[in-house]
Amino acid sequence: MKTDPTFWLLARASGLTAYALLTASVLAGLVLKSRPFRSLKPASVTDTHRFLALLGLGAIALHGLTLVVDKTVHLTPAALLVPGASPYRPLPVGIGVLAAELMLVVYASFALRRRIGTRNWRRLHWATYAIFGAATVHGLAAGTDTAQPWALSLYLAAIGSVAGAATWRALAPPLSPQPRRTS
Amino acid sequence: MTVYRIEIDRSLCSGFGACVDEAGDAFRLENGIAVAVTTSTDPRVLEAAAACPMGAITVVEEQAA
Repeated sequence: MKTDPTFWLLARASGLTAYALLTASVLAGLVLKSRPFRSLKPASVTDTHRFLALLGLGAIALHGLTLVVDKTVHLTPAALLVPGASPYRPLPVGIGVLAAELMLVVYASFALRRRIGTRNWRRLHWATYAIFGAATVHGLAAGTDTAQPWALSLYLAAIGSVAGAATWRALAPPLSPQPRRTS
Repeated sequence: MTVYRIEIDRSLCSGFGACVDEAGDAFRLENGIAVAVTTSTDPRVLEAAAACPMGAITVVEEQAA
């Protein structure tokens, strides 16, 4: 009997979706920080940034759930939580698990920012670069579709845009708006 | 001497606290909403306005006599 590929396809699609959403959230965060588009309202960018991250976490949850339900790779629920516990490509899968857990911590830290202090919250946010890097490695090394030109294009576009936006952020002069003169 | 007049749009403020980080002498959080001194001579209030993730802070430069 041929096995039903529904969950396997869902697992791959949700993984790529999560990666695209993470990339979009990182880009929105960088836009918020360096404000290259002056016409965008910071409040809208902030909301978009957080919402994309939340959607990304949702896609990651679906990614993990469908991988456990599907029988193509034998992933236990424990392997979703413990990096390296997966019998299937333990290192790349473990890197993905770590990235997801770190992303959850960074997302949750928003609600805790008053307790940990805004400065520590900001330091923690630097982990996002590691998360993006880990997610990229995870996708490339564990993903079934990596060799497909369209998938490779997605990864290259994500890496290129994040690297470009991060460079812009690093090189753009710090924000200190000219105050309005009243008299 | 430059005096900065600070305006906070309370409908936008989310109590993020970046302003307090940048210029703790001028800003503080009260019940989760930022409040500021009316005027300040500290140029760091400009950094605070730029750091606000909601864009809720307007700083107006005034020339004091």
